[in-house]
Parts: sequence; structure tokens; C-alpha cells
Amino acid sequence: MLIQVLVSGSVLGCVYGLIALGYSLIYKASGMMNFAQGDVLTLGAFLGYTFFSMLGFPFFLAFILTLIIAFAFGLGIERAVFRQLKAKNVLPIYIVLATIAVSYILQNACQAIWTTKMLSFPRIFPIDSLKVFGVAIQTESIFCVAVSILCMAGLHFFMKHSRFGTAMRASAMDSKAAQACGINTSLATGVTWAIAAGLAAMAGMLLGPIYGVFITLGSTIGRKGFAGAVMGGYGNMYGAMVGGVLLGLIETLTSSYLSSTYKDLIAYGMLLLFLFVRPTGIFNEKAITE
Amino acid sequence: MKKVMKKDSVKNLVLLLASVLLPVIFNAAGQSYPILIMCFAFLYMIATSGLDVVFGYCGQISMGHAAFFAIGAYGSAMLNRYCGIPVFFTMIIASLLATLVGAVIAYPASKLVFHFLSLSTIAFAEIVRTLLLQSPGGITGNAVGMFPKSISLFGFQLNTYTRFYYFGLLFLVLFLLFKYRMVNSRVGRAFIAIRENTHAAGGMGINVTQYKVMAFAVSAFYTGFAGAMYAHLVRYIGPDTFTMKQSVMFVTMMLFGGTGSIAGPLAGAFVVLVFNEGLRAFEQYQMLLYGILLLVVIVVLPGGIYGTVRSFIKKRLAEKKGGQVDAA
Repeated sequence: MLIQVLVSGSVLGCVYGLIALGYSLIYKASGMMNFAQGDVLTLGAFLGYTFFSMLGFPFFLAFILTLIIAFAFGLGIERAVFRQLKAKNVLPIYIVLATIAVSYILQNACQAIWTTKMLSFPRIFPIDSLKVFGVAIQTESIFCVAVSILCMAGLHFFMKHSRFGTAMRASAMDSKAAQACGINTSLATGVTWAIAAGLAAMAGMLLGPIYGVFITLGSTIGRKGFAGAVMGGYGNMYGAMVGGVLLGLIETLTSSYLSSTYKDLIAYGMLLLFLFVRPTGIFNEKAITE
Repeated sequence: MKKVMKKDSVKNLVLLLASVLLPVIFNAAGQSYPILIMCFAFLYMIATSGLDVVFGYCGQISMGHAAFFAIGAYGSAMLNRYCGIPVFFTMIIASLLATLVGAVIAYPASKLVFHFLSLSTIAFAEIVRTLLLQSPGGITGNAVGMFPKSISLFGFQLNTYTRFYYFGLLFLVLFLLFKYRMVNSRVGRAFIAIRENTHAAGGMGINVTQYKVMAFAVSAFYTGFAGAMYAHLVRYIGPDTFTMKQSVMFVTMMLFGGTGSIAGPLAGAFVVLVFNEGLRAFEQYQMLLYGILLLVVIVVLPGGIYGTVRSFIKKRLAEKKGGQVDAA
């Protein structure tokens, strides 16, 4: 029982972590919140379903195609909406509202293109479950956790040890100084939004086989991802991962051992608790108090 | 100056007279649907005006006003059903309850700035909604919702749209008068000082936390009362009405109209409401079109409809006078 709970907790936690990572990256790079993150997850799940199940592509190809589309989508949103508004120097609330409008469009476009019914994502692997310590675990769950961890590690190496990752961090830290050093800050910001969208879409593809594919898949997860990001320290990459995983584990543990009625309250309660008591989060990220 | 005042009060009087006569005209034409829309418009105008106190004057954002709307609606319905208090008094008590909750949540939240304040209000609204959906002992009717009675004023039932219309109009005017008096007082000036520069306001001896809490509390009262009106107008409330979409709608109405004014939120609430009703004809594409229009308007007219029209008129007037058009 405990192992199964821990596994489903880490599946959820990894997904929260991926979403939270997107929020943190965007906040660091643009000082903005993107409320469409959860609906990009839904879009990713639907795209994955279309390529893999309806068109019969191999899973790997479907995965890559979904990622490419999400990347393009993230870049497009940054260019078409965020940059336009930033250039007009509007109040930040308009940008927040614009991302909410994007999330409405995404959610309802998915409904118009696909269906309001819940679709079941076919199995990715021929084996149903693996035995871990004598307990059967769904293969897709293991896959989800493994890919998430790989992805987080990959992002760490990209941001810390690659040339472009360093440029991205520099332009997030001080855009003007980075520009003076010859960094293309405009491209760096665009790529940040693209990576955030890619992470969310990937989370959707990983979650689809476990939870099913439906239009409101991402909206709750999107909002809970905020809680993960704040718990870790908003704007901190590692904080987002740790906070997300922690939130997933806490939520699953309490709902399996205490009561599942108020499962959703835990995430929002944690969010309020951290905002009020320790807004800098576990990693003591100062971005929040600026 | 005196002349301007006179012109304004004449304009207000004409508007008021027109609003009083409106149901008579529609009733004569045998149309009740426009009257119902106006009833909704009044309650949304009250809610949006309340949100404007906290955002437009005090500069604090709330993306969770659906929670106060819900507390007003459910509070009034539950007080009537379980305690047997007559409906009108339950509306007042429920709004006061919303005020109290607003103050309690605003106190710790007052330290947070923009994005994190909006996050905490969203989290708070989600908690309220979860409690409505899974209330202890099912007192809110959970997913089924509740069926409140219509308003009765000392035995007089407000059970037709026309009666509700006059009730709504009366309270809208009262709420607007209160708002007008408040924003043009010491309190209103403190709000504006906090909006413009919180540190400077603190330096001038304004108790920033206290005024922020006050703005939230007043705003919660407005929205709570609007929620109670909603409950007794529609006479059905369920958790689906009080989602984040509702909070976003309040913000949209306020921004569309223009913030920090009396007329702005009224115009915004009316336009967005009519807009939404018009989109109803497209059924399943309603939300999709709403999202697209919202995005287009934000990107093209970030000043809101009222703001854009106002700056356009200002520009034209300045051109007529032959004066310089300022860059702003």
C-alpha cells in the first residue's frame, strides 16, 4: 500500500514539478505569471493522443511532435501577446488577464476540435506493470517519473553548463547588462516561454495514459502547480521541482491515509500558508519580495 | 467649477429618470427579458464597483472575489433556510459576514504584492469553492446547490423582474453614493496614496495595513451583497457559479470599463454582460469566442472601452481648442 501511494504521489508530484518549473522560468525571465500553463498541459495530452492513438505514430515520434508544437506555441504566445503588451507598457494586470484569455481559448478550442468526453490514452508499453519490492506498479507511472527526473536533470545541465542556458540566466538576471554583453535577450525570453510550454505539454503526455485525456485535465493541476512553485521558492528552478514533488507526496499521502474529501484543500492551504508565513519558500528565493 | 457640478448633476438626474422609466417602457412593449438583463447588470455593477474600491483606488488586486460573491449568496440562502430570518435581513448579515472574512484574509495578505496577492486570493477562492462543494453535513447542498426564496420586504414579495429591478436600482444608487462619499474623503485619499506609492504613504503617517484591510472589507461587502442579490434573483445557486471564471469576469468588467472612477465599472459591467448574453447564441463556442474577444480587446485597447473613449474625446477636444495634445 505505502509503495503504491508513494508512486502515485511522485507521479503527481513530478507533474506539479514540471508545471511549477514553467512558472518559475517565466517569472524569472519576464517577471510575469502565465495562467495558460495548465491548459498547455491539456493541449499536450490531446496532441499526444491524436498522434499516438488516432494517427498511429510510434510513441517516440508522437512525443517529439507534441514537444515541437508546444515549443512553437510558447514562442508564438510570447511574440504575439506578451511582447506586444510589454511594448505598450500596460499595467501588469492586463498581461495576467491576457494569459487567462489564452487559457480560455486553449481549453475551449480543445473542446471544439476534440471532444468533451474523456478519452482513454492507449497503453504505451506492452507490459502492464512491473514488480517493485513485490508490488505491481503501472509501467506508465514509472515512465512518467523517470522522464520527469531526466528532464529536470537535463534542464539543470542546459541552464548551468551550456552557452545558451547561461545566456538565458544572464538575461533573466539583468536584461540590460546581458544585452550589453552581446546576448540576444529577446531570443532568450522567447525560448524561456517555449521551454515552459514544452514542459507543460510533456507533463500532459506523461499524465494522459494514467489519468485519461479530457479538457479540464490541466486546469486544476495548473493552479496547484503554483502551490508547488511557491512552496519551493517562486522563481527558483530547483525550488519548483522540490516543491512540486513535495506537494504531490503530501497530497497523496494525506488523501490516502486521512481523508480524501478535502484533497484539493491541501494544495491551496499549503499555498496560503507559505505565502503568509514564508513567502520565500524552502529555497529562500528573494524574487517574491521584490 | 460650479457650472460643471450642475451639468453633472443634471446628467445624473436624467440617467436616473431614464432608469426609473425603463421597465415601464419594456412592460408596455411586453418584453421582460431586457428587464431581467438589467437586474443582472445592477448586481454586477455593485460587485464591480466594490472590486474597483480595492483595485482602482487602493491598487490591490483580487482574483478571488467570487469567494465573497459566494459567501453573500450562500450566507443569505442558508441564514434564511436554517435560521428562518427574513430574506432581506439575511442579505445584510451575509454581506457583513463577507466583510469580516475579507478583513481576516486581507490582514496577512496585505504584505504581499501584486502577483502573489492575486495568487493568495485565487487560493482563498478555491478553498471557499471546495467547501461549498463538500460542505460538512451537506449544509450547502454540495453539488446540487440551493434554491433560495425571493426577497420579501415586510411581507411584500419581490417576485417579479420589475419589482426586483427597482430594488436593484435603489441599492445600486445607495452603494454608489457611499462609494462617492468614501473615495472623496480622508479614507479615499489614503487609498489613492497607497496605490500611488505605498512607501511614501507609510511615510506620511498612513497606516498602510489598516487601510488595505479596510479596502478589502468594503469591497467584500459590495460583492457579498451582489452575491446575495444574485441568489434571490436567480433562486438557484450551485458551486459552478462561483468558480475562478466569475472572479475573472469581475476583473474583466472592471478593466473594460475603466478603473478608479464611479462610471467606469458601471459601463464595463453592462458592456461585458450584454456581450456575454449575445454570445449565448453560439452555444458551445461561447467561451471560445469570449476568450478570443477578450484577448483581442486587451491587445488592441489596453485602456478599456471607457478609457479609450475618454482619451479619444480628450484628444479631439484638445485638437479643437488648437492646444497641444499631450503625449500621454
